[in-house]
Amino acid sequence: MASGAQEKQYTPSLLSFFIYNPTFGPREGEEEKKILFYHPSEVEKNEKIRNVGLCEAIVQFTRTFCPTKPAKSLHTQKNRQFFFEPEEHFWIVMVVRNPMIEKPNKDGKPPAIEYQEEEILDTVYGAVVRQCYSMYKLFNGTFGRAMEAGGVELLIQKLEKFFYRYLQTLHLQSCDLLDVFGGISFFPLDKMTYLKIQSFVNRVEESLSLIKYTAFLYNDQLIWSGLEQDDMRILYKYLTTSLFPRHSEPELAGRDSPLRPEVTGNLLHYGRFLTGPTNLKDPEAKFRFPKIFVSAEEGYEELHLIVYKAMSAAACFMISATVELTREFCEQLDSLVGPQLTLLASDICEQFTINRRISGPEKEPQFKFIYFNHMNLAEKSTIHMRKTASVCLTSVHPDLMKILGDINCDFARFDEDEEIIVKAMTDYWVVGKKSDQRELYVILNQKNANLILVNEEVKRLCATQFNNIFFLD
Amino acid sequence: MDGESRNATVPWDNAMLSPVDRLRSDRADSPTPGLVEGTEPGAVQRSAIFYHAQSYEDLTAEAENEAQRAPEPDRPQGHNEDEIDALVGEKSVERRLNNDPSSESSTKEEDVSSEAWRSHKKHVFVLSEAGKPIYTRYGTEEALSSTMGVMMALVSFVEAEKNIIRSIHADGCKVVFLTKSPLVLVGVSKTGQSDKELLRELQYIYYQIVSLLTLTQLNHIFQHKQNYDLRRLLAGSEYLTDNLLRRLERDPGLLLSAVTCLPLASSARDVVSSSLQAAKAKNLVFSILLAGDRLVTLVRKKDQFLHHIDLHLVFNLVGSSSSFREGEGWTPICLPKFNTAGFFHAHISYLEPASELCLILVSTDREDFFNMSECKQRFMERLSKRSAYQAMKEALKCPSYSVEQVGIPELRHFLYKSKSSGLYTSPEFPEVYQSDEEQERLMGLYQDLHSCLHHPTRPLRYFYRCSETENLLARLTSGFELYLCFSPLATKALAVSAVDKLLKWIRKEEDRFFILSPLTY
Repeated sequence: MASGAQEKQYTPSLLSFFIYNPTFGPREGEEEKKILFYHPSEVEKNEKIRNVGLCEAIVQFTRTFCPTKPAKSLHTQKNRQFFFEPEEHFWIVMVVRNPMIEKPNKDGKPPAIEYQEEEILDTVYGAVVRQCYSMYKLFNGTFGRAMEAGGVELLIQKLEKFFYRYLQTLHLQSCDLLDVFGGISFFPLDKMTYLKIQSFVNRVEESLSLIKYTAFLYNDQLIWSGLEQDDMRILYKYLTTSLFPRHSEPELAGRDSPLRPEVTGNLLHYGRFLTGPTNLKDPEAKFRFPKIFVSAEEGYEELHLIVYKAMSAAACFMISATVELTREFCEQLDSLVGPQLTLLASDICEQFTINRRISGPEKEPQFKFIYFNHMNLAEKSTIHMRKTASVCLTSVHPDLMKILGDINCDFARFDEDEEIIVKAMTDYWVVGKKSDQRELYVILNQKNANLILVNEEVKRLCATQFNNIFFLD
Repeated sequence: MDGESRNATVPWDNAMLSPVDRLRSDRADSPTPGLVEGTEPGAVQRSAIFYHAQSYEDLTAEAENEAQRAPEPDRPQGHNEDEIDALVGEKSVERRLNNDPSSESSTKEEDVSSEAWRSHKKHVFVLSEAGKPIYTRYGTEEALSSTMGVMMALVSFVEAEKNIIRSIHADGCKVVFLTKSPLVLVGVSKTGQSDKELLRELQYIYYQIVSLLTLTQLNHIFQHKQNYDLRRLLAGSEYLTDNLLRRLERDPGLLLSAVTCLPLASSARDVVSSSLQAAKAKNLVFSILLAGDRLVTLVRKKDQFLHHIDLHLVFNLVGSSSSFREGEGWTPICLPKFNTAGFFHAHISYLEPASELCLILVSTDREDFFNMSECKQRFMERLSKRSAYQAMKEALKCPSYSVEQVGIPELRHFLYKSKSSGLYTSPEFPEVYQSDEEQERLMGLYQDLHSCLHHPTRPLRYFYRCSETENLLARLTSGFELYLCFSPLATKALAVSAVDKLLKWIRKEEDRFFILSPLTY
């Protein structure tokens, strides 16, 4: 190594991810049977067994001191392990390597590695593990369901199929406070336009009586949903981080040419299916839609998920999985929804531009903020740029994001309303407010401010952005 | 003497400190936020009393450093095989320390599978690398041998992967591991303290044990016999660890890595210091005068510094045992931050039978008892002739002050630490924090603030928290650390103005609260 070699920085990364059930191989020599899924799969069998064994031991040991609260994480010098028991005896474990710095060593010695043990926030990655399970459950139902339907073999098969692909989409280096909230961004709208959307939903549900639930989004933000909050939360996550980004490019191309080549009859519209058939005219087209599981009165129900999009407006229609969807139904839906959705999309767009003009030209504000409401899961962030499938860009230093995470942990410890104002070594001020299920985090870049000025600045922000929300002063 | 450099005192990132020997007239009268170390209220005039490389414990890689930096005190005894055998045979710590009879607490006998045992807020376990129990705070070591075996198994399992176990987290409970070969320390806490705070506490316990045996001896014993039962050597000294754990929950000094002084007019303190300075002897390294948990003065050999951890261990030793009241005590003590390899010998005695004033004379020579005793006599003779002695006895009657004296409305309590002197001051607990429970809760809040300010990678300068029970403000500058506790009615404007006001007040009182001119022999 040349002496002038640079230090190399490594971000946190996924070391392993496994799912086990200790009741499946209780006897010695049968330990392998406990393991239902293990990533990376090429790990040698004995090592898998040992790593699962350590998790079992940690969980068991922690019970000595708190029998009711299971272990959630293990910190070591090199990595952190997160434990989650979503269903009785089923454990999901995610092992994340701490970020590290590789320092080149002179004299041809191997480089020195320094692990940064304080960089990973438990709350963030704990939430990521729970999200993994929720996403599996959205598309597969519970582990228990697979066990009932086809025993361990089926469960193993389903886990393999789902997690093999899903784990590739995890981007651990860009996880932050927003993953803890798992919130939904709502599209701000005037009453008139909102009523138009509601009547559109009603009309479609009336004409196509098969439709059980509908959700309506614009610009990746939610406007209307008929689902339960928790189901919508994970569906929203899927739509905005996976499905929409995958289809965004063709759409951009489509906007340039006013007419789609496959436009039928005299109906000119931009509507198209994001799930199911890509081209209705294709005689080979398959009318298969992804199935999702949502909560219902007796446990859960299985639904077809149809996502239909025109310009920036997207409508999700959910239909009971017991019904078989045909070409006729899809054509009917396309001809009914396509033109109306196109019209609505341009209406909303127009309204949105007007509103923006009224609120005045946007100037770079002195502050950035994240807001989350635990009651309706509404979240708003001016820190994050638009999310894409692969990365979630933030406009502030990662250390500041971690300070937000630290404050959030602090809020979670006590049930009462609180306010925290801190000044980081970099002279940024960070304010956290928790009031009646709502949390607001503000980052101010005012080096010479003091506590009083910062307080006034945040008051002003609350007045303009959240004029009808009361925050503890 | 004045010009001597405070070697290795490199606090934070501030290597360009103002000269330490500045005159009092140089010191800014109004405490501005720009105060750097050495000019803050309570800063020392000449040179630091303590050896403090950093105000926050460095938890890694210190064992290596300290071997190099600690000057070797004269070691009167070699550590050979015979000595260990002798120690193992009969000369147990029990004899040397002649412990307090009241320490035999009933908590030891409780059922370790009971809910009551589980619900203790903080457990501490010490075990050997062979998994043998050495200490448990609650229950008996025998009953917990299998639990400790599991702890050791977890440590070794992770070690086998060339990794180090740090902690386990569950909702409302965490387990923290500290491996300090040849010992392993485990803390189980339901207090919500940060990992770093818990590790710092385990570190104290580790040093407590080292102070009884020296690290050299510990290593020697376990190299000799891996599954040696260390309780044989430590029998009768558990109360020291029990007591230290209680101190950690109550004493802000252990949190701040600082000690507090008996408020005393500087004229009187200077007389006491110079009387101690005069009563020197060849092998005398430190003369420490305590009033309960408060330092009256400390005189040290030139170039020798006492680390605050070592001083707290001395405080703990003196405060935990009533046997020193019976006459002159003579006990070996290892000051692990000074040197983990050898023993010092401490002459411990109270100035008067019923007095709180306790004099500790630390010598390097085990045969020095009579020399030390004579030093004390000389000190007493000199002191008793002066009015300062009376002034000191008067000061003992009000060893603390009330927060009302500061004159800031809604201020309930505060901690102020001068970084350069390693001393802190704090008023007595006000009415609202009278119960033990409330005092511990307040200490918990201070611990939280301390952890946030001293976060290893994301330190903060300023922390303000407003909640339903109190408003807290913490500030960290290169010169001082300040923690303020207000009633929930206090406004932010009040809190901001309180900082300046309080600093001015401390500046005005610094003569009484701090040791501004420490002496050396």
